[in-house]
Formats: sequence, structure tokens, C-alpha cells
Amino acid sequence: MTQRRVIGPTAWIVGAAGLFIGALAGWLVSQGNPGNMGLCIACFWRDIAGFFVGGVSNQAAVAYIRPEIIGIILGALGAAIVTKEYKPRGGSAPLLRFVMGFIFMSSALVFLGCTVRAWVRLGGGDLTALWGLLGIVIGVGVGIVILKSGYNLGRAKGAPAWTGWIVTGIAVILLAFALWTQFGTKPEFATLTPANARAVIPGEVVVAPAPDGDGLTVLRPADATIVDGAVVAADGEVLADADKVASTGPMPGGRRAPFFISLAAGLAIGVVAQRSRFCSVGGIRDAILIRRFDLLFGVIGLVIGATVVNMIFGQYNLGFTGQPVAHNDALGNIAAMVIAALAAVMLGGCPMRQMIMGAEGDADGAAAVVGMVIGAGFTHWAGYASSPAGLADRAWPALGVMAVILAAIALAKRARAA
Amino acid sequence: MKEVDALGLSCPMPLMLTKKALEENPGEILVHVDSGTAKQNVVGLLSDYGFTVSVEQTGEEYRIKGMRA
Repeated sequence: MTQRRVIGPTAWIVGAAGLFIGALAGWLVSQGNPGNMGLCIACFWRDIAGFFVGGVSNQAAVAYIRPEIIGIILGALGAAIVTKEYKPRGGSAPLLRFVMGFIFMSSALVFLGCTVRAWVRLGGGDLTALWGLLGIVIGVGVGIVILKSGYNLGRAKGAPAWTGWIVTGIAVILLAFALWTQFGTKPEFATLTPANARAVIPGEVVVAPAPDGDGLTVLRPADATIVDGAVVAADGEVLADADKVASTGPMPGGRRAPFFISLAAGLAIGVVAQRSRFCSVGGIRDAILIRRFDLLFGVIGLVIGATVVNMIFGQYNLGFTGQPVAHNDALGNIAAMVIAALAAVMLGGCPMRQMIMGAEGDADGAAAVVGMVIGAGFTHWAGYASSPAGLADRAWPALGVMAVILAAIALAKRARAA
Repeated sequence: MKEVDALGLSCPMPLMLTKKALEENPGEILVHVDSGTAKQNVVGLLSDYGFTVSVEQTGEEYRIKGMRA
């Protein structure tokens, strides 16, 4: 073979896109999003699942329709239509893609973030993300072995027109619910983490900023009140003293940038990601498999953009401990991201790309997205999502089951005549 | 001329198939893809190898033609 260049002109386009997305992710935290969670596809879909099923899936702390998700889908759709890339297609093992989307989400919730947030976390100085990134490299490596063994989910074909609108339809329904909740009262069945609500004693004592902006009000238990900063029950018992109340931070689902800022940021990310083909696992995959480094510039740009903006806003906190919505279980972080990255490689792209493909009319991407949403609700319901304290007891068995299922899919989908 | 059918395949299959075809060192290559992402990736890879690339869009697919410069 003749000489080839290893870094093409698209490297700078993807790199600039990553820089923009990372900077926006850092900025969204300054606007109210949870720490190092300006952009997290898994967390945001998890919060959306919490809005609908939080009452039964033990997700009251993370229940909010994240407008960023709606924006990303509609932004990508707009970009795809303008560039004539919108096209209904599907039929490449949608059921398996659903399962792998489910597994991707389940493992991401053990890590506490998707493959996108792993890079975002590093950009906030969270060194526990390095364990996750090591897991991503290993998972991609395993995925490459599987790809080279002839693994193939089969070709997508042209599909009925309506299947191209599945992900967009979901976004429109979410937008309707989000606006309903934003400008009215939330629907009866839904769970919504109140803005900046703090779970002083999770599930028992919950306080939130008072509606008039002056001090705090008690959301739970119903008859308790605030006395000198402490939560006091109707019978006079002190349920949580003032120090405990003051030292409790807002729950992740209650931390959010203003609605239209989130929506606009999402739209911008959607357009940029659709045009640039930014992918949070594709960079490492292509670098190892094809020796092509252009996509890798995307995640490098993301880390740089997030780092700079986090430093500007005083949000940068370098270290392994005290990191927002993260735990420091090294093995757990590695293993969870091995599974997530493997699922992503077997799907053909990270969760953000699945969403964007779905917006472009790809019903297979839509199947993965739906799997992710259902997986989020299931993971919390089944009780193996991690908390900042560490892994849940059931996390390791759950990861084991996921590994077995992925291995079975990999074996089943080896093309005989590769 | 070497011809590669990557229609309907998700990442990174179009790139893998194209790279494999290039191992035979063809002077001319034609790759069929049907998504914008696959198009951009394959065009990028062919240009990396020094091909002069042209893309023709028909109704259902992109025909990416690479000629050794």
C-alpha cells in the first residue's frame, strides 16, 4: 500500500465540534446543571425515565424531562433535513439493538455517566473518570476483536416512512410534557424532582427553596416546618438539624439550567453533532481498528473545551474524591465502562450517535434509544444503579449478566462468510 | 476497478470494507454507501490514501468514486 496521511482535514472539524460541545457542557453546569453533567446522554434519559416511572422505580431524586435531549434530537433532525440526509431506514436487527441500548444504559448507570460524560467528567478534573476511560479503551478493544471475527448486525434497508419519525416523535411528546410541566402543573402520574430540592434524609426529609425565594420550605414530611434552619415535625421532634440541612446539596434531578437555555444548548449540540459525526467511542475505535485519528480529535476537543470553561467558572476540581455524581470504585468504574463501550461498538456508535441516527430517520438507532430509556427505568427499579457512595450490591452480578448477553449476541451474529 | 458495497451497514463496517479493498492497491475504487456518516468517513479515508474523490448522489445511495491521483 502507498503512503497515507493519518490525520485528515475532518480532524479539525470534529475537533472544533468537540471543543464546542465540551465548552457548552461546562457552561450548562454554571447555568444550574449538576456538576460535570452539562451533557450526559445516559443521565438525561435516566431523568426522563424518572419523570414517567419515577414513582415506581425509586427515582424521585432524578426525575426531570431534560430539554437538552429534545434539543439534540430536533437540532439533528433539522440539520439532516437541510442537508438532505434525512432518510427512513431500518431492519438491521432492531431487537438486538434494543437489548444493547438497554445494556448500554444499565452499565452507564453503574459508572454514573455514559461514554460522553466520561470525557465531560475528565474535563471537570474528575480523575475517577480515568478508570472509566480505561474501561472504554478495553471495551473498544474487545469490540474490535468481535468486529474482526466477522460480527455484523446485517444491512439496514429503506423502511416505511413512519419509522423514520420514531425518535422525533418521542422528542415532540417529551416537549409537550416538558412545556405542560414548565408552564402548568405536572401531570398527576408523573414524578418531578422540584428545582434545587435537597434530600436531607433521602425519601424522608426533603426541603426546597421557598417559592418566594426567601429561605426553605419542607416538601416532606407534609406537616413538618423549618425552625431556625432545622426541619421540625408537627410533634416538635427535630428530624434534621440546621447543620445537616445546610450541608445537604440539591439532588441531581433538581439541578438544572433554565428550560430554554437547556433547550437552545441542546439544539446547538444536535446540529454540531449531526454535521461533525462526533462520537464518544468512535475515536478510539477508529484509531485502533483503522488507524484513522480524525474522530479522536472530537473527544480530545471536548475535554479541552470542558476544562477551559470549567476553570473559567471556578468549577474545576482536580482529584479522585469529592467529585459530583461519581464514585471512586476503580474496578467498578472500569468494568461498567468496558460493558458500555463494548455495547456501543457493537451498536456502531455511542448513545449520542444512536439518538442522532434516530433523528436522521434510522429506526435501528431509535430501537437503541428506546432500549436505553427502558433500561434506565429498569436499572433504578431493580436497584443496581450506583450512588456517589459506590456500587450497589447487585451491580456486579448485573454486569456479569450483561457481559454474557453481549457475548451471546457477538457469537450469534458472526457472519459465516466474512 | 474495485467496487465495495457498504449499503445499509453501520459504523465502522464501511471503513473496514473500504480499507480491506485498498489492500489490493486498486487504481480506481467505487464505494456504495447510503448514510451521510458513512459517506464522510469513506471520503476522508480515500483522501487520506491520496485518491481524488468524487461523490455522486442518486436517489437511494451515494456513489463514492476514488481515482489514484
